[in-house]
Amino acid sequence: MLVNSQAELLFGYLGPELLGQPVEILIPASFRRGHQNHREGYFSQPRVRRMGEGLTLYGRRKDGSEFPVEISLSPLQTDEGRLVTAAIRDVTERQRVERSLAEKNLELERANQTKDRFLATMSHELRTPLNAIIGFTGTLLMRLPGPLTTDQEQQLQTVQSSARHLLALINDLLDLAKVESGKVELRFERIDCRELIDEVAAALAPLARAKGLLFDVHCPPGSVHVRSDRRALSQILLNLAANAIKFTPAGYVRIEAAHEGSRPIIRVVDSGPGIREEDRHRLFRAFEQLESTASLRHEGSGLGLHLSHRLAELLNAEISLTPTPGGGSTFSVLLPEVS
Amino acid sequence: MTRILIVEDNQTNLALMEYLLRAFGYEVLTAHDGEHGIAMAARDLPDLILMDLQLPGISGFESAARIREASSATQVPIIAVTAFAMVGDRERVLAEGFDGYISKPITPETFVSEIEAYLPPGRRAVRGDPRP
Repeated sequence: MLVNSQAELLFGYLGPELLGQPVEILIPASFRRGHQNHREGYFSQPRVRRMGEGLTLYGRRKDGSEFPVEISLSPLQTDEGRLVTAAIRDVTERQRVERSLAEKNLELERANQTKDRFLATMSHELRTPLNAIIGFTGTLLMRLPGPLTTDQEQQLQTVQSSARHLLALINDLLDLAKVESGKVELRFERIDCRELIDEVAAALAPLARAKGLLFDVHCPPGSVHVRSDRRALSQILLNLAANAIKFTPAGYVRIEAAHEGSRPIIRVVDSGPGIREEDRHRLFRAFEQLESTASLRHEGSGLGLHLSHRLAELLNAEISLTPTPGGGSTFSVLLPEVS
Repeated sequence: MTRILIVEDNQTNLALMEYLLRAFGYEVLTAHDGEHGIAMAARDLPDLILMDLQLPGISGFESAARIREASSATQVPIIAVTAFAMVGDRERVLAEGFDGYISKPITPETFVSEIEAYLPPGRRAVRGDPRP
């Protein structure tokens, strides 16, 4: 057996020590007999075997320690007859990395399951006490137990609006977590936009009315259809329209559906203060709420637009913002063509 | 008097719904788990059932299915009341044989009228001043 200097390093022998020795000296004792048979079989039908073909084998150093190896074999015709060149690679490090990667993957998988369980539990545990807070504040404000003083009424209203704010935050956070973990089940179906927009408008009409805004829908029934998930799309429109109502002090909010080329598009148009060019890129990030002109902090989680943006991605839709001619903002949801 | 059965394990939620319905003139029966709910539905023949979904033991889904199987109460409207308000849950509830769905936290101002939408007009409480 002839070896190069790398093999000397790998096995701890000096080249001359191996001259005349069978290759089995480099193999753990328990594998020797088997290897001898393999070797004889190989010589009768020699062919090139590339690195990594076949199983991982073990090498044995001069000091008796063993280590995993991969080998490649090439037959070599020489004047002294047929020889075989074996290239040997120590795969100790690679195996260690593979093992640790497998362990890490398992750990990640477990952490992810824990997170999902946590979210499902929190969803229930966070809302239950809020139910009590919002509920009994409500019965007090309805004066079911008896009359209220002006101070009591004002303070209860503060409790109620804070609790509702907290609930909106929790809902958005949990929805976002569900989207991020790929847990949203989508069912794509053909939807008449008018029907969907009417549902959204019905839910928000009281808010708009309370602010004295003109709130209307421009979409003839049957004129625009989309192929989308009803729940996700209505959540996007609810978020956009609720925002428009929230940030528009006077004037109008309109939801309209149309076609842009062959693609359906739904727009939420408002006559509010508009959004400055330099602020637009921040809009769809989590927890961003732009300072409004009155530098008044609006109630909201700062997650609504981010969540809408993520939901739109799932629906292969794009949300964009343009100024409304004459002042205000227009948020557009451009949906995929209905084939 | 119109009789409403609430199946809910959380004492506070139960107290809120019970208070509201009583204040508006309904007779209220309560059960803390599915097993009692099923038994009371068959024995007391309520006009409507409000069912929490995350009950200990027999789930709300299972309880509703068993109430439907019992011949005495096949027609009673069953409304799911639950904090399952995450994206995509509403469809499941309606697909599993509930007549309606109310998500927690309930809105006290509209809760009773939402419930009444599932009652035949003749079974709705006569609306006077609900204040005791």
